[in-house]
Amino acid sequence: MKVKVVTRILEANERIATENRRLFKEKGLFVVNLMSGPGAGKTSLLVRTIELLKPHLRVGVIEGDITGTEDAERIQSTGVPVVQINTGGACHLDANMIQEVLPELPLGELDLLFIENVGNLVCPAEFNVGEDMKVMLLSVTEGEDKPLKYPLMFQQSKALVINKIDLLPHLDIDMESLKERARALNRDMEIFEVSCKTSEGLESWTTYLTGLINSTH
Amino acid sequence: MHEVSIAQGILDIITANAREHGFRRVNSVSLRIGRASGVVVEALRFAFEIVRKDTIADNADLLIEEVPLGGVCLDCKNNFTTERDYILECPLCGSVSFKITQGRELEIIELDVEEEYEGKGCNKNPGGK
Ligand SMILES: Nc1nc2c(ncn2[C@@H]2O[C@H](COP(=O)(O)OP(=O)(O)O)[C@@H](O)[C@H]2O)c(=O)[nH]1
Ligand SMILES: [Mg+2]
Ligand SMILES: [Zn+2]
Repeated sequence: MKVKVVTRILEANERIATENRRLFKEKGLFVVNLMSGPGAGKTSLLVRTIELLKPHLRVGVIEGDITGTEDAERIQSTGVPVVQINTGGACHLDANMIQEVLPELPLGELDLLFIENVGNLVCPAEFNVGEDMKVMLLSVTEGEDKPLKYPLMFQQSKALVINKIDLLPHLDIDMESLKERARALNRDMEIFEVSCKTSEGLESWTTYLTGLINSTH
Repeated sequence: MHEVSIAQGILDIITANAREHGFRRVNSVSLRIGRASGVVVEALRFAFEIVRKDTIADNADLLIEEVPLGGVCLDCKNNFTTERDYILECPLCGSVSFKITQGRELEIIELDVEEEYEGKGCNKNPGGK
């Protein structure tokens, strides 16, 4: 006997993501899911972004990593609330992991929640966690062919932050071709070129974020 | 990669359907998987073999239909598919304005299951006239 099913396989995750999203909305919280390959600078970007936004917005962070608490400690030094999730080998955060740690954050007292995903360019894009937007971070050291290799990541992200531009003089990456390829996959993508080392470009990134948050409040 | 959680997701859907339809055995599971879904089919088969142990899907085969990536060009309205797992431009006019229309699927389509016999077939009352 055949039983017609026609169900998206990630349905369970989607259901929890919807619950998370409802809770975030209720608390008036804007949620950013930050994704990148390993070492592109997610934690550095968060630290820098928090420094710039802290006077204006109440920020919180969920740190996802396979093991360790080092990133959470770096965030903690900025003085904002942070919880660490260790996925114990899983290469992405899913909605359930997020739901489990939410009680540990003062959600009602926050305007903006960053989720640092596990450093991986494939899987995180598959799992919605209830975020308002996904942001992809890419380091200039990764070359211009990343959009070809990880199209889903580019298609799912509302914004692309290209980090470590202070290193550009030492590299022969073709930035125009990188941006063209990214826009080919996602023509509405906002692209920011920044350096967490020199702070170059960070202000237009934080202005963009603030604008989004104000327009949803 | 994340194929284990996807295999687990498949099993969860099977279990939920078994509860609803009251079957106890699954022969096969038909899936549609897009080439740009991020799922490696071989890894998924392997993961499913692990998670299906000691469940009603113990012997279930995965019948996988792979869906090529395709899009529609917003400039020349051309519908196209590709064998690659990304699209950079419309193959007809070269425009970079396109919408992805297929290739991201990750769905269970149907289950082939053993029916539960409720008296019929199992002739409990032979010749009972
Ligand atoms: N030169 C340079 N190095 C950076 C920049 N941002 C981050 N890094 C370095 O890149 C490495 C990885 O950064 P981290 O924030 O831990 O990356 P994550 O793994 O994505 O969280 C660290 O050694 C950082 O100091 C940048 O803008 N320029
Ligand atoms: Mg980090
Ligand atoms: Zn065209």
